[in-house]
Amino acid sequence: MKNQLKVLRAIRNWSQADLGEHLDVSRQAVNAIETGKYDPSLPLAFKISRLFDLPIEEIFDDEYSGERDA
Amino acid sequence: MTNTQESAMRDADQKTGGNIARNLWMMLSGVGIIMLLGVITGFLSQHNAQGGGALDLAGVAVLGAIAAAILILAFVVWKLFQQGKQSGEKVPRREKVYNRFLIGGFLFGGVTGLALALTGGLDAHETVLMSNAAMSPVLAIILSIAIGVILPAITLYWHRHAVDEQEEAAYGFGALIAMYAFWFIAPVWWFLWRGGILPEVNGVTLYFITMFFALVVWFWKKYR
Repeated sequence: MKNQLKVLRAIRNWSQADLGEHLDVSRQAVNAIETGKYDPSLPLAFKISRLFDLPIEEIFDDEYSGERDA
Repeated sequence: MTNTQESAMRDADQKTGGNIARNLWMMLSGVGIIMLLGVITGFLSQHNAQGGGALDLAGVAVLGAIAAAILILAFVVWKLFQQGKQSGEKVPRREKVYNRFLIGGFLFGGVTGLALALTGGLDAHETVLMSNAAMSPVLAIILSIAIGVILPAITLYWHRHAVDEQEEAAYGFGALIAMYAFWFIAPVWWFLWRGGILPEVNGVTLYFITMFFALVVWFWKKYR
């Protein structure tokens, strides 16, 4: 899944290790999420959302372009 | 995003990429040390099985070469570890716990195997992983307690404190592929044995094949 994690991290001048420390995950996990090789769990996505003070959908993009269900 | 931030991001990425590569090399060097210690163990066990006594010149040369290779790999691990410390980048808490477990595991496994071989605690056939040969009751009990009691407790702690969700997913996918491998390989082997083409199905061999699939897939999912 595409995401803004790399940009958000760079805005704060954080390395992947810094972000890993904040999220209590390894650098490999941060790297895998940033490159779209691993989609975080819902709890981790919420943690990321709270850390950057942004809604989940502004950080992660599932590239859904269809009509939303009523 | 400003140019400074973009530059900082690139620097951080390069640094992180270097750290991941460094960790990989450290891990591979550690595995290499364990394997070489295993070779020494096997060599000495074989020597003991053939009557023991002083090693001839060729034996000393072989052991010397392996010991030198171990020292070189140990130096590589130490050098890479120092580089990691000097890079100044912090290591997330979970990774620190992870690394301590890895180093502890390598040291414990290597030292235990070598100590058993040096003290004559292992016969040659006992060092062969897939052997079904008899072993001493004491060694059987020690190994059973280590694998059946101590290792599960350590694994539980490892999963709670060192493994993050990305690695857990890697373990999970590795376990799935290993399960499929077991499901398909075991009956095929069984049929081929019944057809007189392969020797009888061996549980220990199946165990190691399953482990192999689990580890290869875990490694690929974690580090790709």
